[in-house]
Amino acid sequence: MKAFIAGLGLIVTCGAYLFTQHLNYQPDRNWRAPETAASRANPLSARPETAAGGRKLFLRNCAECHGNNGAGMATKHSADLQLPIVQRQSDGTLFWKITNGNPAHGMPSWSKLPELQRWQLVQFIRTLKSPSD
Amino acid sequence: MAFRAWILALSLLLLGVRCRAQESLFFVTYTHHMEEPGNLEVETSSATGIPRDGQQLYFAPYVEFEYGVTARWTSEVYLEGQSTAGDNAVFTGWRWENRYKPMDREHWINPVLYLEYEDLNEASRIQKEVEGGGPDLTSRNALLTSQRDRELESKLILSRDYRDWNISENFIVAKNFSKSEGLEFGYSFGASRPVGRIASGTNCRFCRENFIIGAEMYGGLGSTLGFGVTGTTHYIAPVMSWMLSDSSNLRLSTGFGLTHESNPVLIRVGYSYELQGFGSKISKFFGRRP
Repeated sequence: MKAFIAGLGLIVTCGAYLFTQHLNYQPDRNWRAPETAASRANPLSARPETAAGGRKLFLRNCAECHGNNGAGMATKHSADLQLPIVQRQSDGTLFWKITNGNPAHGMPSWSKLPELQRWQLVQFIRTLKSPSD
Repeated sequence: MAFRAWILALSLLLLGVRCRAQESLFFVTYTHHMEEPGNLEVETSSATGIPRDGQQLYFAPYVEFEYGVTARWTSEVYLEGQSTAGDNAVFTGWRWENRYKPMDREHWINPVLYLEYEDLNEASRIQKEVEGGGPDLTSRNALLTSQRDRELESKLILSRDYRDWNISENFIVAKNFSKSEGLEFGYSFGASRPVGRIASGTNCRFCRENFIIGAEMYGGLGSTLGFGVTGTTHYIAPVMSWMLSDSSNLRLSTGFGLTHESNPVLIRVGYSYELQGFGSKISKFFGRRP
Protein backbone atom coordinates (compact mmCIF):
# COMPACT_ATOMS: atom_id res chain seq x y z
CA MET A 1 0.00 0.00 0.00
CA LYS A 2 2.85 2.34 0.95
CA ALA A 3 4.61 1.55 -2.30
CA PHE A 4 1.42 2.29 -4.23
CA ILE A 5 1.02 5.67 -2.51
CA ALA A 6 4.71 6.48 -3.08
CA GLY A 7 4.40 5.49 -6.74
CA LEU A 8 1.26 7.53 -7.16
CA GLY A 9 2.97 10.51 -5.50
CA LEU A 10 5.91 10.18 -7.88
CA ILE A 11 3.65 10.01 -10.93
CA VAL A 12 1.65 13.03 -9.76
CA THR A 13 4.85 15.00 -9.02
CA CYS A 14 6.40 14.16 -12.40
CA GLY A 15 3.11 14.86 -14.14
CA ALA A 16 2.76 18.20 -12.40
CA TYR A 17 6.36 19.05 -13.30
CA LEU A 18 5.86 18.22 -16.95
CA PHE A 19 2.51 20.00 -17.01
CA THR A 20 3.86 23.22 -15.58
CA GLN A 21 7.25 23.25 -17.30
CA HIS A 22 7.33 25.47 -20.35
CA LEU A 23 8.74 22.91 -22.77
CA ASN A 24 7.67 24.84 -25.86
CA TYR A 25 9.38 28.04 -24.83
CA GLN A 26 10.48 30.09 -27.83
CA PRO A 27 12.68 33.10 -27.12
CA ASP A 28 11.82 36.52 -28.48
CA ARG A 29 14.25 36.99 -31.36
CA ASN A 30 14.10 40.76 -31.05
CA TRP A 31 15.18 40.71 -27.41
CA ARG A 32 18.91 40.95 -27.90
CA ALA A 33 21.58 42.48 -25.73
CA PRO A 34 23.95 44.94 -27.41
CA GLU A 35 27.41 43.48 -27.94
CA THR A 36 29.02 45.69 -25.33
CA ALA A 37 26.51 44.47 -22.73
CA ALA A 38 26.74 40.84 -23.82
CA SER A 39 30.51 40.82 -23.40
CA ARG A 40 30.47 42.00 -19.79
CA ALA A 41 31.96 39.55 -17.33
CA ASN A 42 30.31 38.67 -14.05
CA PRO A 43 32.24 40.51 -11.31
CA LEU A 44 31.20 37.79 -8.86
CA SER A 45 32.49 34.89 -10.93
CA ALA A 46 35.35 34.39 -8.46
CA ARG A 47 32.89 34.22 -5.56
CA PRO A 48 30.65 31.21 -6.24
CA GLU A 49 29.32 31.32 -2.68
CA THR A 50 27.26 34.40 -3.61
CA ALA A 51 24.98 32.18 -5.74
CA ALA A 52 23.14 31.29 -2.50
CA GLY A 53 22.05 34.91 -2.24
CA GLY A 54 21.06 34.71 -5.90
CA ARG A 55 18.81 31.77 -5.08
CA LYS A 56 17.10 33.78 -2.37
CA LEU A 57 16.57 36.68 -4.77
CA PHE A 58 15.31 34.31 -7.45
CA LEU A 59 12.73 32.74 -5.14
CA ARG A 60 11.64 36.18 -3.98
CA ASN A 61 11.40 37.93 -7.33
CA CYS A 62 11.44 35.46 -10.21
CA ALA A 63 9.89 32.18 -9.08
CA GLU A 64 6.33 33.48 -9.41
CA CYS A 65 6.72 33.36 -13.21
CA HIS A 66 9.71 31.08 -13.81
CA GLY A 67 8.94 28.51 -11.10
CA ASN A 68 11.11 27.58 -8.15
CA ASN A 69 13.32 25.44 -10.39
CA GLY A 70 13.44 27.98 -13.21
CA ALA A 71 11.63 25.64 -15.60
CA GLY A 72 9.21 28.37 -16.66
CA MET A 73 5.45 28.16 -16.78
CA ALA A 74 3.38 27.66 -19.88
CA THR A 75 0.52 29.63 -18.34
CA LYS A 76 2.80 32.62 -17.78
CA HIS A 77 4.63 32.25 -21.12
CA SER A 78 7.83 32.56 -19.11
CA ALA A 79 11.20 31.27 -20.21
CA ASP A 80 12.47 27.86 -19.16
CA LEU A 81 15.81 28.97 -17.77
CA GLN A 82 17.13 25.39 -17.77
CA LEU A 83 17.05 25.12 -21.55
CA PRO A 84 20.36 25.20 -23.43
CA ILE A 85 19.05 28.14 -25.47
CA VAL A 86 19.09 30.18 -22.25
CA GLN A 87 22.14 28.62 -20.63
CA ARG A 88 24.21 29.22 -23.77
CA GLN A 89 23.76 32.97 -23.43
CA SER A 90 26.63 34.92 -21.91
CA ASP A 91 26.55 36.24 -18.35
CA GLY A 92 26.43 39.76 -19.76
CA THR A 93 23.39 38.91 -21.89
CA LEU A 94 21.49 37.46 -18.95
CA PHE A 95 22.42 40.47 -16.84
CA TRP A 96 21.20 42.83 -19.55
CA LYS A 97 17.92 40.93 -19.87
CA ILE A 98 17.33 41.00 -16.13
CA THR A 99 18.16 44.71 -16.02
CA ASN A 100 16.01 45.81 -18.97
CA GLY A 101 13.25 43.27 -18.96
CA ASN A 102 11.03 42.75 -21.98
CA PRO A 103 7.88 44.70 -21.05
CA ALA A 104 6.06 43.94 -24.29
CA HIS A 105 6.25 40.23 -23.41
CA GLY A 106 5.52 40.59 -19.70
CA MET A 107 9.07 40.44 -18.32
CA PRO A 108 9.55 43.46 -16.03
CA SER A 109 12.81 45.34 -15.64
CA TRP A 110 14.70 44.47 -12.46
CA SER A 111 16.95 47.50 -12.49
CA LYS A 112 15.55 48.30 -9.05
CA LEU A 113 17.81 45.60 -7.66
CA PRO A 114 21.39 46.67 -6.95
CA GLU A 115 23.80 45.74 -9.73
CA LEU A 116 25.62 43.07 -7.74
CA GLN A 117 22.34 41.41 -6.82
CA ARG A 118 21.48 41.15 -10.50
CA TRP A 119 24.84 39.46 -11.06
CA GLN A 120 23.96 37.12 -8.18
CA LEU A 121 20.81 36.20 -10.08
CA VAL A 122 22.92 35.40 -13.14
CA GLN A 123 25.12 33.21 -10.97
CA PHE A 124 22.12 31.34 -9.65
CA ILE A 125 20.61 30.89 -13.11
CA ARG A 126 23.83 29.13 -14.06
CA THR A 127 23.12 26.50 -11.42
CA LEU A 128 19.72 25.63 -12.86
CA LYS A 129 19.75 22.25 -14.51
CA SER A 130 16.93 20.19 -15.93
CA PRO A 131 16.36 16.80 -14.18
CA SER A 132 17.57 15.00 -17.30
CA ASP A 133 21.00 16.67 -17.21
CA MET B 1 -24.84 32.82 2.66
CA ALA B 2 -23.60 33.72 -0.79
CA PHE B 3 -21.74 36.66 0.72
CA ARG B 4 -19.96 34.33 3.17
CA ALA B 5 -19.03 32.02 0.32
CA TRP B 6 -17.51 34.96 -1.54
CA ILE B 7 -15.54 36.04 1.53
CA LEU B 8 -14.28 32.48 2.01
CA ALA B 9 -13.34 32.18 -1.65
CA LEU B 10 -11.51 35.51 -1.56
CA SER B 11 -9.65 34.50 1.61
CA LEU B 12 -8.54 31.25 -0.01
CA LEU B 13 -7.51 33.18 -3.08
CA LEU B 14 -5.37 35.53 -1.02
CA LEU B 15 -3.84 32.66 0.90
CA GLY B 16 -2.90 31.06 -2.39
CA VAL B 17 -0.97 33.99 -3.75
CA ARG B 18 2.68 34.46 -2.98
CA CYS B 19 3.94 37.53 -1.33
CA ARG B 20 6.92 39.71 -1.94
CA ALA B 21 8.02 42.97 -0.49
CA GLN B 22 8.38 45.96 -2.73
CA GLU B 23 11.48 48.08 -2.89
CA SER B 24 10.04 51.52 -3.47
CA LEU B 25 11.37 53.94 -0.88
CA PHE B 26 9.87 57.38 -1.35
CA PHE B 27 6.50 58.59 -0.10
CA VAL B 28 6.12 61.43 -2.58
CA THR B 29 8.65 61.01 -5.38
CA TYR B 30 8.00 58.39 -8.03
CA THR B 31 10.73 56.44 -9.75
CA HIS B 32 10.52 54.66 -13.11
CA HIS B 33 10.16 51.30 -11.38
CA MET B 34 6.70 49.93 -11.99
CA GLU B 35 4.66 47.37 -10.12
CA GLU B 36 5.31 43.90 -11.50
CA PRO B 37 2.49 42.75 -13.81
CA GLY B 38 -0.29 40.92 -12.01
CA ASN B 39 0.91 41.90 -8.53
CA LEU B 40 -1.23 43.80 -6.06
CA GLU B 41 0.35 45.89 -3.36
CA VAL B 42 -1.78 47.01 -0.43
CA GLU B 43 -0.30 49.79 1.61
CA THR B 44 -1.47 51.74 4.60
CA SER B 45 0.38 54.96 5.32
CA SER B 46 -0.01 58.11 7.31
CA ALA B 47 1.24 61.67 7.51
CA THR B 48 1.39 63.26 10.95
CA GLY B 49 1.91 67.00 11.01
CA ILE B 50 3.59 68.54 14.04
CA PRO B 51 2.14 72.05 14.28
CA ARG B 52 3.64 75.50 14.60
CA ASP B 53 1.75 78.52 15.94
CA GLY B 54 -1.70 78.75 14.40
CA GLN B 55 -1.67 75.12 13.23
CA GLN B 56 -3.10 71.99 14.86
CA LEU B 57 -1.62 68.54 15.20
CA TYR B 58 -3.17 66.22 12.62
CA PHE B 59 -3.01 62.60 11.59
CA ALA B 60 -3.84 61.79 7.97
CA PRO B 61 -4.00 58.07 7.13
CA TYR B 62 -4.54 56.60 3.68
CA VAL B 63 -4.79 53.21 2.11
CA GLU B 64 -3.47 52.45 -1.33
CA PHE B 65 -4.07 49.58 -3.76
CA GLU B 66 -1.41 49.38 -6.45
CA TYR B 67 -1.79 46.92 -9.30
CA GLY B 68 0.60 46.08 -12.11
CA VAL B 69 -1.70 45.97 -15.13
CA THR B 70 1.21 45.28 -17.48
CA ALA B 71 4.97 45.61 -17.16
CA ARG B 72 4.60 49.21 -18.38
CA TRP B 73 1.32 50.29 -16.79
CA THR B 74 0.59 50.57 -13.08
CA SER B 75 -2.74 51.68 -11.66
CA GLU B 76 -3.49 52.75 -8.09
CA VAL B 77 -6.51 53.69 -6.01
CA TYR B 78 -6.28 55.67 -2.77
CA LEU B 79 -8.76 56.28 0.02
CA GLU B 80 -7.81 58.92 2.54
CA GLY B 81 -8.93 60.71 5.67
CA GLN B 82 -7.62 62.90 8.46
CA SER B 83 -8.11 63.69 12.10
CA THR B 84 -7.13 67.02 13.63
CA ALA B 85 -6.56 67.75 17.32
CA GLY B 86 -9.42 69.81 18.72
CA ASP B 87 -11.42 69.14 15.58
CA ASN B 88 -13.10 66.08 14.09
CA ALA B 89 -12.05 63.12 11.92
CA VAL B 90 -13.15 63.25 8.30
CA PHE B 91 -12.98 61.24 5.10
CA THR B 92 -11.21 63.44 2.60
CA GLY B 93 -11.75 61.58 -0.66
CA TRP B 94 -10.23 59.22 -3.20
CA ARG B 95 -7.71 59.23 -5.99
CA TRP B 96 -7.12 57.08 -9.03
CA GLU B 97 -3.73 57.27 -10.61
CA ASN B 98 -2.09 55.65 -13.61
CA ARG B 99 1.55 55.48 -14.57
CA TYR B 100 2.79 54.50 -17.99
CA LYS B 101 6.37 53.81 -18.99
CA PRO B 102 6.66 54.53 -22.70
CA MET B 103 10.14 53.11 -23.26
CA ASP B 104 10.95 49.45 -23.53
CA ARG B 105 14.52 49.51 -22.23
CA GLU B 106 16.48 51.19 -19.48
CA HIS B 107 17.98 54.47 -20.65
CA TRP B 108 20.19 57.19 -19.26
CA ILE B 109 16.99 58.88 -18.12
CA ASN B 110 13.75 56.94 -17.98
CA PRO B 111 10.54 58.93 -18.40
CA VAL B 112 7.21 57.80 -16.97
CA LEU B 113 3.90 59.55 -17.66
CA TYR B 114 1.52 59.94 -14.76
CA LEU B 115 -2.15 60.91 -14.75
CA GLU B 116 -4.36 61.07 -11.68
CA TYR B 117 -7.97 61.98 -11.04
CA GLU B 118 -8.74 63.21 -7.53
CA ASP B 119 -12.11 63.67 -5.89
CA LEU B 120 -11.10 65.23 -2.60
CA ASN B 121 -12.09 68.02 -0.29
CA GLU B 122 -9.88 70.79 1.02
CA ALA B 123 -9.31 68.90 4.30
CA SER B 124 -6.95 66.45 2.53
CA ARG B 125 -3.60 66.49 4.28
CA ILE B 126 -1.83 63.31 3.23
CA GLN B 127 0.34 65.45 0.96
CA LYS B 128 1.02 62.63 -1.44
CA GLU B 129 2.27 65.48 -3.55
CA VAL B 130 2.36 69.21 -3.00
CA GLU B 131 1.19 71.52 -5.74
CA GLY B 132 0.23 75.16 -5.79
CA GLY B 133 0.61 76.56 -2.29
CA GLY B 134 0.08 73.28 -0.45
CA PRO B 135 -2.76 72.29 1.90
CA ASP B 136 -4.60 74.67 4.21
CA LEU B 137 -3.26 73.75 7.67
CA THR B 138 -5.09 76.40 9.68
CA SER B 139 -8.82 76.30 8.82
CA ARG B 140 -11.30 74.01 10.57
CA ASN B 141 -12.48 70.74 9.02
CA ALA B 142 -16.13 71.82 8.84
CA LEU B 143 -15.16 74.60 6.45
CA LEU B 144 -12.59 72.58 4.52
CA THR B 145 -14.82 69.55 3.88
CA SER B 146 -17.47 71.78 2.35
CA GLN B 147 -15.05 72.76 -0.39
CA ARG B 148 -14.74 70.00 -2.94
CA ASP B 149 -11.72 69.56 -5.20
CA ARG B 150 -12.05 67.61 -8.41
CA GLU B 151 -8.63 67.67 -9.87
CA LEU B 152 -6.72 66.23 -12.78
CA GLU B 153 -3.06 65.93 -12.03
CA SER B 154 -0.24 65.02 -14.37
CA LYS B 155 3.39 64.35 -13.65
CA LEU B 156 6.46 63.87 -15.71
CA ILE B 157 8.61 61.37 -13.86
CA LEU B 158 12.27 61.25 -14.80
CA SER B 159 14.34 58.63 -13.10
CA ARG B 160 17.70 56.99 -13.37
CA ASP B 161 19.59 54.16 -11.70
CA TYR B 162 23.28 54.86 -11.49
CA ARG B 163 25.72 52.67 -9.56
CA ASP B 164 23.00 51.44 -7.19
CA TRP B 165 21.73 54.95 -6.64
CA ASN B 166 18.30 55.93 -7.85
CA ILE B 167 17.84 59.57 -8.71
CA SER B 168 14.33 60.74 -9.58
CA GLU B 169 12.62 64.02 -10.37
CA ASN B 170 8.89 64.64 -10.69
CA PHE B 171 7.33 67.72 -12.25
CA ILE B 172 3.68 68.25 -11.41
CA VAL B 173 0.92 70.15 -13.20
CA ALA B 174 -2.58 70.02 -11.72
CA LYS B 175 -5.89 71.49 -12.79
CA ASN B 176 -8.69 71.90 -10.27
CA PHE B 177 -12.03 71.75 -12.08
CA SER B 178 -13.95 72.91 -9.00
CA LYS B 179 -12.26 76.29 -8.69
CA SER B 180 -10.58 78.89 -10.82
CA GLU B 181 -7.05 78.39 -9.57
CA GLY B 182 -5.40 78.17 -12.94
CA LEU B 183 -2.84 75.45 -13.42
CA GLU B 184 -0.93 74.56 -10.26
CA PHE B 185 2.66 73.40 -10.22
CA GLY B 186 4.80 71.34 -7.92
CA TYR B 187 7.98 69.32 -7.81
CA SER B 188 9.67 66.54 -5.95
CA PHE B 189 13.00 64.86 -6.28
CA GLY B 190 14.81 62.19 -4.38
CA ALA B 191 17.89 60.00 -4.21
CA SER B 192 18.14 56.59 -2.62
CA ARG B 193 20.53 53.72 -2.23
CA PRO B 194 20.36 50.21 -0.76
CA VAL B 195 22.49 49.77 2.36
CA GLY B 196 23.68 46.32 1.30
CA ARG B 197 24.65 45.61 -2.30
CA ILE B 198 24.96 41.83 -2.08
CA ALA B 199 22.21 39.50 -0.86
CA SER B 200 23.21 37.05 1.81
CA GLY B 201 22.34 33.41 1.34
CA THR B 202 20.29 33.18 4.51
CA ASN B 203 16.85 34.50 5.34
CA CYS B 204 17.45 37.36 7.72
CA ARG B 205 15.52 40.37 8.89
CA PHE B 206 18.34 42.70 9.85
CA CYS B 207 20.67 42.08 6.89
CA ARG B 208 21.95 45.24 5.28
CA GLU B 209 20.33 44.28 1.99
CA ASN B 210 16.89 44.71 3.60
CA PHE B 211 17.39 48.42 4.14
CA ILE B 212 17.23 51.30 1.69
CA ILE B 213 17.99 54.85 2.70
CA GLY B 214 17.55 58.12 0.90
CA ALA B 215 16.11 61.60 1.00
CA GLU B 216 13.48 63.45 -0.92
CA MET B 217 12.47 67.07 -1.28
CA TYR B 218 9.06 68.27 -2.42
CA GLY B 219 6.95 71.37 -2.54
CA GLY B 220 4.60 73.64 -4.44
CA LEU B 221 5.54 76.13 -7.10
CA GLY B 222 2.38 78.22 -7.14
CA SER B 223 0.12 78.44 -10.15
CA THR B 224 -0.41 80.32 -13.37
CA LEU B 225 -2.01 83.02 -11.20
CA GLY B 226 1.20 83.41 -9.22
CA PHE B 227 4.22 81.28 -9.99
CA GLY B 228 7.03 80.88 -7.44
CA VAL B 229 7.91 79.53 -4.03
CA THR B 230 6.53 82.44 -1.99
CA GLY B 231 3.75 81.32 0.34
CA THR B 232 4.13 77.66 -0.59
CA THR B 233 4.89 74.46 1.30
CA HIS B 234 8.26 72.73 1.04
CA TYR B 235 9.81 69.78 2.85
CA ILE B 236 13.09 67.95 2.89
CA ALA B 237 12.79 64.43 4.24
CA PRO B 238 15.23 61.62 4.98
CA VAL B 239 13.54 58.29 4.22
CA MET B 240 14.24 54.72 5.25
CA SER B 241 12.74 51.44 4.10
CA TRP B 242 13.02 48.10 5.85
CA MET B 243 11.94 44.85 4.25
CA LEU B 244 10.37 43.17 7.27
CA SER B 245 9.71 39.92 5.44
CA ASP B 246 9.32 38.67 1.90
CA SER B 247 5.76 39.94 2.04
CA SER B 248 5.98 43.23 3.88
CA ASN B 249 7.84 46.46 3.98
CA LEU B 250 8.00 49.32 6.47
CA ARG B 251 8.91 52.87 5.49
CA LEU B 252 9.65 55.81 7.70
CA SER B 253 10.26 59.44 6.88
CA THR B 254 10.70 62.60 8.90
CA GLY B 255 10.16 65.67 6.80
CA PHE B 256 11.34 69.09 7.87
CA GLY B 257 9.33 72.07 6.76
CA LEU B 258 11.35 74.71 4.96
CA THR B 259 8.81 77.52 4.91
CA HIS B 260 6.43 79.10 7.38
CA GLU B 261 3.45 77.57 5.54
CA SER B 262 4.84 74.03 6.10
CA ASN B 263 4.58 71.98 9.26
CA PRO B 264 7.89 72.15 11.15
CA VAL B 265 7.96 68.34 11.12
CA LEU B 266 5.96 65.92 8.98
CA ILE B 267 6.27 62.28 10.04
CA ARG B 268 5.31 59.60 7.59
CA VAL B 269 4.94 55.88 8.24
CA GLY B 270 3.96 53.30 5.65
CA TYR B 271 3.42 49.56 5.79
CA SER B 272 2.95 47.64 2.56
CA TYR B 273 2.06 44.08 1.74
CA GLU B 274 2.49 42.70 -1.74
CA LEU B 275 0.52 39.86 -3.25
CA GLN B 276 2.25 38.20 -6.18
CA GLY B 277 0.20 36.72 -8.97
CA PHE B 278 -2.99 38.35 -7.73
CA GLY B 279 -4.25 39.04 -11.24
CA SER B 280 -3.81 35.47 -12.47
CA LYS B 281 -5.53 34.09 -9.37
CA ILE B 282 -8.48 36.39 -9.98
CA SER B 283 -8.58 35.32 -13.63
CA LYS B 284 -8.57 31.67 -12.63
CA PHE B 285 -11.26 32.30 -10.05
CA PHE B 286 -13.53 33.67 -12.75
CA GLY B 287 -12.63 30.85 -15.10
CA ARG B 288 -10.55 32.94 -17.44
CA ARG B 289 -7.14 32.13 -18.81
CA PRO B 290 -4.53 34.06 -16.79
